[in-house]
Amino acid sequence: MGSVIFDILTTAGILFVVASGLMIILGVMKLLNFAHGAFLTAGGYAAYLTGAAGISPWFSVPLAGIVGIVFGLLVERTIIRPLYNRPLDAILATWGLGIVISQIFALTFGRGVQFAPSPLSGTIEVLGIEYSAYRLAVSAIAVLLAIALIALLSLTRFGLNARAVIVNENLARGLGIDSTRVRAITFGLGAGLACAAGALITPLLSVDPNMGLPWLVNSFMLVLISGVSFPSLLLASLVLGGTQVLISTFISPILGGMTIVVLAAMILRLNPKGFSRA
Amino acid sequence: MSDAILTLSDITSGYGSAAVVRDVSLDIKQGEILAVLGKNGMGKSTLLKTIMGFVSPFGGQVILRDKDVTQTPPHMMARSGVAHIPQENTLFPDLSVEDNLRLGVNSDRLFRQRLPTIESLFPRILERMKQRAGTLSGGEQKMLLMCRGLISHPRLMLIDEITEGLQPAMVDRMAEVLVKARDDLGISVLLVEQHLDFALSIANRFMILKLGEIVDQGVVDSQVTSDQLSAHLAV
Amino acid sequence: MPRKEITLSRTHRTALIGCLVGLCTVAIAPLFLDTYFTNILIRTLLLAAVVMTVDILWGYTGILTFGQSAFFGIGAYACGLVFTHYGFGPGWALGGLALALGSAAVVAAGTGWLAFFHGSSPIYASIITLALPIVLTQVIYSGGSYTGSSSGLSGFPTYFWSLEVWFWIAGCFLVLTTTAGWLLVRSDFGRVLIAIRENEDRSAYLGIPVSRIKTMLMVAAAMVASVAGFAYAAFSNVVAPELAGFQLGTELLIWTALGGRATLLGPVFAAIGIDTMSSWLSGAMPFFWKLLTGIAFVGVIVALPRGLAPLISGLWNRLRPQRNAIDFEASVVKAPGTRMLQGSFGDAPPLRIVGLSRRYGSLEVLRDVNLIGKGTELLGIIGPNGAGKTTLMRCISDGKERTTGTLYINNVEIAHSSPQQVVGLGVGRSFQNTNLFETLTVSECLKLARYRIDGASLFSRSDTVALPQPSLDILQATGLDKKLSEETKNLSHGMKRGLELAMVLATEPSVLLLDEPTAGLTRPERMAIGSVLTKLTRDFGLCIVLIEHDLDFVRAISDRVVVLHQGAILMEGTVEEVVASDLVKAVYAGHKEDESA
Repeated sequence: MGSVIFDILTTAGILFVVASGLMIILGVMKLLNFAHGAFLTAGGYAAYLTGAAGISPWFSVPLAGIVGIVFGLLVERTIIRPLYNRPLDAILATWGLGIVISQIFALTFGRGVQFAPSPLSGTIEVLGIEYSAYRLAVSAIAVLLAIALIALLSLTRFGLNARAVIVNENLARGLGIDSTRVRAITFGLGAGLACAAGALITPLLSVDPNMGLPWLVNSFMLVLISGVSFPSLLLASLVLGGTQVLISTFISPILGGMTIVVLAAMILRLNPKGFSRA
Repeated sequence: MSDAILTLSDITSGYGSAAVVRDVSLDIKQGEILAVLGKNGMGKSTLLKTIMGFVSPFGGQVILRDKDVTQTPPHMMARSGVAHIPQENTLFPDLSVEDNLRLGVNSDRLFRQRLPTIESLFPRILERMKQRAGTLSGGEQKMLLMCRGLISHPRLMLIDEITEGLQPAMVDRMAEVLVKARDDLGISVLLVEQHLDFALSIANRFMILKLGEIVDQGVVDSQVTSDQLSAHLAV
Repeated sequence: MPRKEITLSRTHRTALIGCLVGLCTVAIAPLFLDTYFTNILIRTLLLAAVVMTVDILWGYTGILTFGQSAFFGIGAYACGLVFTHYGFGPGWALGGLALALGSAAVVAAGTGWLAFFHGSSPIYASIITLALPIVLTQVIYSGGSYTGSSSGLSGFPTYFWSLEVWFWIAGCFLVLTTTAGWLLVRSDFGRVLIAIRENEDRSAYLGIPVSRIKTMLMVAAAMVASVAGFAYAAFSNVVAPELAGFQLGTELLIWTALGGRATLLGPVFAAIGIDTMSSWLSGAMPFFWKLLTGIAFVGVIVALPRGLAPLISGLWNRLRPQRNAIDFEASVVKAPGTRMLQGSFGDAPPLRIVGLSRRYGSLEVLRDVNLIGKGTELLGIIGPNGAGKTTLMRCISDGKERTTGTLYINNVEIAHSSPQQVVGLGVGRSFQNTNLFETLTVSECLKLARYRIDGASLFSRSDTVALPQPSLDILQATGLDKKLSEETKNLSHGMKRGLELAMVLATEPSVLLLDEPTAGLTRPERMAIGSVLTKLTRDFGLCIVLIEHDLDFVRAISDRVVVLHQGAILMEGTVEEVVASDLVKAVYAGHKEDESA
């Protein structure tokens, strides 16, 4: 029973980490980034390569983040910016980008599964329960990340500008904020977060060219249901992730796999605002 | 080389196929308040949005200190010393008063430096720094708007119906601040108004905009009274 | 009248010729193809029919669907399951097909219920269509030996006809469904679909049941896809979860985009070309080929949003320029006996508002508004910006808008009716911005406005629109009756305003809500609109509620003026009374005293 509670907490942590990059892009740019799954995959391969190069696995996450930011800035300039006024086309373009990225990985690394070393192995005992040390570490990182993101948005100048653009882009522009630049930085940041998240979760699983796909739809659902708010995202991850764990454990893992999608779709149908007022 | 801060020549502007502003020309000198008067729906806000770069004109030029700035994006206009105080959706209601003010300048160092001057103009705003801007009263929100405009140290302010819904005492206070901004800081103001007494009490010159065209203009002196102009502006 | 028959038959004749050419091609094609290509093409032709439905959903109607593969999969599994577990024979085959159609329709209706409701965002709807194949695949996985889980079902009994026969079945299916699709998108109903794509809100306010049409379309498309899936399973003798998967679903989208959305034939040919090529090339260089299509896809979306088909048809038109003439001349006639002409003189008031208020969070935009609009009355609503005028219009035309209060249209309580239901009760609303349907012609726009009353034929197109007298008057007054075949984006601003009004009147309202109908118009245009409005109230007994800033205009036409201020009614009276009022002067000039104090 105790380990189920840990499962719930760590699953929520993982979901939060995975979805946060998507949320920041949706919030500021009103763009649903379908390449998010491919960015996660890229992070996974970054972790694999770091491990293969013999660098300490602790560095894989920041390295993946940096690669993601650079790549994200590049993509924003070439693909996203021309489509700013065609939101559904932007979705399609990011989806196409996702295909291109995963095919490049398939060409480079093959279809097979690769593993990345974990910086923390084995289990530790917490409150009398043996539990995977790395999963707990990921949850701790998720909490730190949530705090960092909230701080970024509420304490820094960039965060203030970004919040201004989220609420009222025209007013922000009239006050001298270059919203194009804010959007570019946001996309870079979102891509960086996604890559870092991919690197973070890969030691728990494995990486293959389509690794990010299963996470993509769950992330969409969590983000749509949370509106643009990191505390709501944390809550949504906890509620929906928790339900997923409970259904997987006590009913059937396959039903568990669809829990988030089905539950979120129903919640949004009945209340299109989701948890965003929570 | 002219001494005008802002010159508009033959601006025609609007949305889609509809021209809301037609062939408007004007200029504003340093340290001058120009009042553009007219009823709702006569194109006053569109004129300001065109200057600011939110709306692309169908024709004509916007010149800021001898430089053609027609269709310059709004954030570049703001950075070249133009402060726009729009009429609607003017504040970020869910952000604190302080954050709203911070957005008026592009660095937090300048923000802290300039805060004392604002305090001297509107002491009450400083008491409410941590409050959400949306919870301020209507009058206080207008004060905050003025503060946010002034803290950017603009050369030119474009002010859209700042007195709408204000109590008479507040209107007087606003007039005082604007006169001070003009006389002490040398700020030029393009004031879009329906409130004749307020506008005529502080403006150097006036123009009347009707259905998008300038139908009358002149210098504000003792000859011009609000009764004379109110024919154009009857409710 | 003879012209009508000629034009009708021209569209149908083209379809017939195209259909026959297609069928002949299908008939003789196997003679020129080797076994390998015939084999590949059977699958491709079936998928091309599914792509055609994706184009109708996305290209024409604007529903970006990632989930059309789910219905292909449902059809395939209906075949596989019935033949594996229950029996095989003509009866079982027909039963299986019925099962395929039925379950696809039910699932599509459920998806439509989830995805489409008034106020749902297009992105949300897309995500639902994305979730559908993912959920379905999970269901298949969880089916154990019944569904064959991840390895699917194979080796079930089926009709082992020769490849040619299957090719003919697949080919005929594609040609026939595409012909039907081609007629559908060219019909009057096809214009309704385009209108929904271009401006969903505006369509709803013309009384078009947007959500229902989208759901019905989804059901029809699902049924076509499931038949294709059924045929594919019967032919290949294998069903696998991939057939329902969203990888296939997105591939369908890619083919549509590359071929050219909203061209119908473009996506069909793109599907045939690309799928054949990829089956052929993927043996040699599997990932590289997918990489190339991915890059082409991104390139086309960014640089050629309309796909490759317009390039080809552009070339075609340059070679045959003489065909560029307008297909037919549209005309308008007077609609027989309309409700509007009966008027509401002296009856119960068409519009009655009791205690209406609207809050956004803690912000109260309207409070306790009580208002009666009589027939034959032109009611002007004035007030400073932010007084709640437009919100009031919104509350009258959409039952879900208000926070509290009751609203009666012709003595019927509107409850929580959606905008298109409110139109049905007799409310017509024109908008502040002229947001018309840019690519439609004047007569097509008018036909849209008549959809609620006259419907729209599914597979044919008529060139006459029956309109009530007031609409005809406006068309004549603004000269629009000479421009019925003109696309609306080419109209002058004044004409757009006129068309907007003619469209709203074509819905035969008894309460007409006009939000600044004369904004941006010249003085003569204003006066023309003004006299039309006066005539409407006097001769047709309409109740008109008008938001207007130009008081000279209001004075010229209005009987009674209501002044809104900060969400409440400040005063009511004639224009003269209102103008003379000190209270109103104060509000406009800004010397506002708090009236509650």
